[in-house]
Amino acid sequence: MKVKEWCMFCGECAGVCPRNLIEVRETSIRFSEDMCKECNICIDACPVRALER
Amino acid sequence: MVTETDVLVIGAGPAGSTAAKHAALGGAEVLLIDKKSEIGAPKRCAEGVSIGGLESLGIKPSPRWVTKKLDGVRLVSPNGTDVWLTSDKVELPEAGYILERKVFDKHMAMDAARAGSRIMVKTLATGMEKTDDGYLVRAESMGREFDIKARIVIAADGPESRVARWGGLRTATRPKDMESAAQFEMVGVEMEDNNCIEFYFGSVAPGGYAWIFPKGDDIANVGLGVLSTETDKSAYEHLLEFVESCPATKNAQPVELNIGGDPVGGMPKKLVADSLMVVGDAAGQVNPLTGGGIISGMTGGMLAGRVAAAAVADGDVSEKRLMEYERDCRERIGKEIDRYLKVKDYMLTLSDSELDSIAEAFQDVEFEKVSTTELVKKLIKVSPKALIKLGKLF
Repeated sequence: MKVKEWCMFCGECAGVCPRNLIEVRETSIRFSEDMCKECNICIDACPVRALER
Repeated sequence: MVTETDVLVIGAGPAGSTAAKHAALGGAEVLLIDKKSEIGAPKRCAEGVSIGGLESLGIKPSPRWVTKKLDGVRLVSPNGTDVWLTSDKVELPEAGYILERKVFDKHMAMDAARAGSRIMVKTLATGMEKTDDGYLVRAESMGREFDIKARIVIAADGPESRVARWGGLRTATRPKDMESAAQFEMVGVEMEDNNCIEFYFGSVAPGGYAWIFPKGDDIANVGLGVLSTETDKSAYEHLLEFVESCPATKNAQPVELNIGGDPVGGMPKKLVADSLMVVGDAAGQVNPLTGGGIISGMTGGMLAGRVAAAAVADGDVSEKRLMEYERDCRERIGKEIDRYLKVKDYMLTLSDSELDSIAEAFQDVEFEKVSTTELVKKLIKVSPKALIKLGKLF
């Protein structure tokens, strides 16, 4: 997952990830991509379109 | 290294701080952690709160965190038809304040500390595992990794709600239940009445609404929430369009951008497990119609904190013991949430033209009181469709 530099670490992506794979820190994000099923829910939910596969 | 505590609260928003405060007041040893370097910032909130709600939590308003006392509501339909509900015309049982959340949240954390809680900032929980008598939570703070051993974990980690899921509770929010929100705090806002909060309905914010909440003479939170399942544009793109088109904001300038998710699907089926409780946004303790969750989340926090302290004192932190919190919660805030969930679902079915005709019909309606319940009651009177869907509930 690519995280654009305008990400504001609000955590909405983590809340909608059905598999709880997104760790949002104060100024960084970690994805457990090996478990990701590419449902794209996080990408669609982002209020500022900061996620891109 | 291992730190031990009776109660570990993860997340120092209003719900978490209130849980920590009440657990500490009940005699438990409490540790409150927050991943951010500054509690309360950045805000992810339009900052409206009811005065009665604060009173019910025993919190006295402070000029340090109240920016504005509200005098009414203006509702605006897609074609600009507006409905004014102001105190000169109607009684305001749900009078409100607009807060300065950055200050308010810190004060709530300070209350928790004064009640005896320890606080750690810039401290992130990264995982947890069940032990015989509680949880072992892995944490990181300023490059240091350590474990926290707790009898009870109170998950107050906001819309992300990861912690409760580690413990097996089903707190993920479905995309159709997560408002995606964006807001500017703006200056130079020209409201028709800067003592009233404004709501704009319809395709301006698909699946949600837009708002202008005044914080000062010409200062306001201008934002909106949308459902990603109802629009292809981002919340931010909708916000730019709204600010461009709304007369109140055409000369306004932003001084802050806020974004975030707001869970509006109601509470999950379970709020507790052995040694685990979930509160606040993490537990869907949000009015699904308005998206407001400060008072309901803090109420959840208060109820959880009290039960946690009593459970620790009893030496019984089982799911069965902690169920007292869940029962309290369903009684105190769950019923309201369930009712407003139905209203929200109904509102989602309305087209722009239906919203316009409801606003037209409201022109001839006399309101005795302004409250969300009163508005829905009037809605049922003017709209046969609303009567069918909601008549039995209100």
